[in-house]
Amino acid sequence: MRSALANIGRFAFFVARFLRAALRQPPPEGKTLQQAWSIGIRSLPILLIIGAFVGTNLSIQGYAAFHPLGGERMVGMFVALAGIRELAPIIAAAMVAAKAGTEMASQVAVMRIKEQIDALEVMAVDPLWYLITPRLLGILLVMPALTILSTSVMVTAAYLVAVYQLGLSGPDFIEFARQGLAPLDLFWCNLKALLYGMVICMVACFCGYFSGPGPKGVGQATNAAVVTSAVLVVVLNYFISELAYG
Amino acid sequence: MALLSPLAGLGRFAAFAAAVLVRLLRGGWSLQAVIRDLYTITTRCLLPVIAVTLPLGMVIALQGLKIFAIFGAQRMLPGLVTVAVLRELSPVLASVLVAAQGGSSCAAELGAMKIKEELDATEVMAVDPITVHVVPRFLAITLACPLLNIVGSAAGILGAFVTAVWLKGEQAGVFLAELWIRTTPIDVWAGSFKTTVFGLLIGWTACYMGTRATGGAEGVGRAVNDTVVYACTGFIVVNYALSSALFGTAGG
Repeated sequence: MRSALANIGRFAFFVARFLRAALRQPPPEGKTLQQAWSIGIRSLPILLIIGAFVGTNLSIQGYAAFHPLGGERMVGMFVALAGIRELAPIIAAAMVAAKAGTEMASQVAVMRIKEQIDALEVMAVDPLWYLITPRLLGILLVMPALTILSTSVMVTAAYLVAVYQLGLSGPDFIEFARQGLAPLDLFWCNLKALLYGMVICMVACFCGYFSGPGPKGVGQATNAAVVTSAVLVVVLNYFISELAYG
Repeated sequence: MALLSPLAGLGRFAAFAAAVLVRLLRGGWSLQAVIRDLYTITTRCLLPVIAVTLPLGMVIALQGLKIFAIFGAQRMLPGLVTVAVLRELSPVLASVLVAAQGGSSCAAELGAMKIKEELDATEVMAVDPITVHVVPRFLAITLACPLLNIVGSAAGILGAFVTAVWLKGEQAGVFLAELWIRTTPIDVWAGSFKTTVFGLLIGWTACYMGTRATGGAEGVGRAVNDTVVYACTGFIVVNYALSSALFGTAGG
């Protein structure tokens, strides 16, 4: 219990130190786009696959929930609301945490155990600024795009299942989906994605930065990064949803 | 070649999965090791599972109440909550967390043993490394998924109850009565069945990635990363097939 509290304190100091370093000088040149590219391109395939299959199951379970009440036509609205407001940002965050987050954590952890971070410090380069700024900017650049792509794939897959597997009417699906949504929903969806991206990046770099020694330490740091950021994202999600729709 | 290498990987994975199953049936693994690993995994995943499913249950109640308020049918909410939590969210999220926590730590352990050539050392001593190191971890992960799903389902429904009754002022009695009526045995069994299948997939993936780790500490990091990614992709795709088979067109 006390070690958890100590870690929260250490994390707060870590973020504060990073902010102080990052605001003092411009980001290292030529690294941000490289990070954005590698985060985006690596997370994209898995995000699309998972988005599609979450969409299919949304349709199936929405149908199961509304069929007994005679409300099959509501499936479109259910998919739009549950998918775009809640699941798309969470799923995108979970997959970016699983792919890009673990990679960040293990890269930084490997640099730590190979003493490359100490070497940076010796060369008078602030390691927090040098390692985290490009990753943070990169993830912020790609998160909205990833979220929008996964949302579109999700809704398309849900539509295909609703129409071709469950035999619902396509125009009804679209009509109800449009009724359920407001343009503001897309704004909240992207805002959530940006916040989650920030949380994932900071947690992953924190876990990697304080990695234990040896291959086991790298494994544990990577492990802690996914679990902690997934939990933080879901808890944060409740508060944002309460704020936005409560 | 670009097309063939994933196929070759799939084949190697299938051969490994079969080898694990054969060792499992042949016996010789220690039940104590299974219980020890199961204990470690469940205790380490318990808090994350609760911390994820509880807020999601709360969010479902929040959004569900808004949909049902259109018809003035807020009392129908538990029907949506049981379907969403018991059939989909709790099984999928509990398994994601088992993959992220139990699966990845198992891959990290096996990966570290592989890198340090401990697995080869075991083999040299005429002890089968799969029987001794892989089977207990595989079984523990497979069993941990359904167990944690039970906890996750309970936490998700509790979250929905908290939001609906305490925060939004629905009646507790109506909520519980509706919950009791709307929850069918198939909801409960579907969750357990699905998570057992997911657990098998996670166990296979984690042990496969761990025992194939190469190239030092980076290799272990990569194995952990691949475990989470491939296990999650695998069981979410399988989830669609299972949900279609169980609830597909008959409407549950």
